[in-house]
Amino acid sequence: MLLTIEENAALNLRALYQDFGYSFFRMRRFEEYDFYAGKKDFLSSSHILTFTDLNGKLMALRPDVTLSIIKNVSHGKYYYDEKVYRVPKNSDTFREIPQVGIENIGSLSGDDVREVVSLAIVSLETISEGRDFVLDVADAGIVAGFTPQPEMLACLAAKNIHGLRELNAPDELIALAENPPDELEILDNLNYRPEIHVDFSAVSSLNYYNGLVFKGYIDGLPEAVLSGGQYDGARMGIDSRGAGFAVYLDVVGGLRND
Amino acid sequence: MINIALPKGRLGEKDYHLFEKAGYEFEGVHEAGRRLVFVNKELDMRCFWVKPFDVPVYVERGVADIGAAGKDILMERDPDVYELLDLNVGKCRMCVAGLEEFSESECRNRALRVATEFPNIARDYYSGLGREIDVIVLRGSLELAPVLGLSDVIVDIVETGTTLRENNLAVIATIAELSARLIANKSAFKFKGEAIHEIIRRLQH
Repeated sequence: MLLTIEENAALNLRALYQDFGYSFFRMRRFEEYDFYAGKKDFLSSSHILTFTDLNGKLMALRPDVTLSIIKNVSHGKYYYDEKVYRVPKNSDTFREIPQVGIENIGSLSGDDVREVVSLAIVSLETISEGRDFVLDVADAGIVAGFTPQPEMLACLAAKNIHGLRELNAPDELIALAENPPDELEILDNLNYRPEIHVDFSAVSSLNYYNGLVFKGYIDGLPEAVLSGGQYDGARMGIDSRGAGFAVYLDVVGGLRND
Repeated sequence: MINIALPKGRLGEKDYHLFEKAGYEFEGVHEAGRRLVFVNKELDMRCFWVKPFDVPVYVERGVADIGAAGKDILMERDPDVYELLDLNVGKCRMCVAGLEEFSESECRNRALRVATEFPNIARDYYSGLGREIDVIVLRGSLELAPVLGLSDVIVDIVETGTTLRENNLAVIATIAELSARLIANKSAFKFKGEAIHEIIRRLQH
């Protein structure tokens, strides 16, 4: 086979998003560092790879795609095939991480949000090569309503019920972790395929997504291969909101091993 | 097939005993030898012994679906896994300890020298207190550090406190209560959920 698993997945996903009426968004690989300086809370790691441009300006290799897109456009449907530069958790070096994803930007209707979820499911189906897959969905807005401490959020993401009890978390929050509802209000009227599970461990931070959040898993891959949700750029000083997700092609590459 | 990572050593034997009581036995575990992997074909399960510090790595990377790990190691490594159950064995505390005559106020004008095997736990704890520290990472015999003047205090696991007392050390503060926890790989929990739930149910009985 001429193409690697990652390249093949990227091409199939791009064709899929094109079919759904999303347009390709191409961007520069670096931004001025100042752009990220005030937004560290929204980045998954606080490390940013920087260099000084010939004119003396401090530049950054992009750690995130969404911010770069919503900075430039305030509505529309876009997909991208880009690299981001991050220090993965428990690592001591930068990695180049290839991502393909979509952003549906604007004040979204319920239909728009449901379409993003459906596209996430179809994306998983496209790259799963016939394996089982699951999309965990949750509502970060409900969790934010409890204004939980960071320790409680960590327990929620780890399904650590005994930890939540020790921290005296509100009973309603413990109930969300232990027995989540079958359906979410924000996904009213969604056709709940059996691969969609309401699971509040998908909420790992309240900084970025403030409504729907979701994470996709494929049987045989040890970590989430897709991650996304609804965001409000106002919280990042950008006048844009929307929903989107990214597929981590480096994780997809793990399908080659067995 | 469910893969289980257990920590080698005293805590691991307690963890294994819990599995045995729940009906998950692996032939040959109790025999002396160097074997590390044990299979129970009937249960479609495999267990293996790894270094206690490495259990979360095996589980996070999906080589093991579930594992038993001390809370100390989970706090230090902060792996992206589910922590499903407090196994209530291997109970002890993560403490700050120092010489009995140690006085914090005497070293207020400089960074506190902290010897530990758990640098992340020590940094988190002292950054919460707003105290600047100089972390000295050691791989054992922590009690020696304050005695010989290598550090002002240690951050270490305290079970009964006997070793501390024998070296004229005393507990200054408790950082966290510790015990063994059952952890699971996030993806494995989605696709082998039924089998993992059954293990949890039987371990709780």
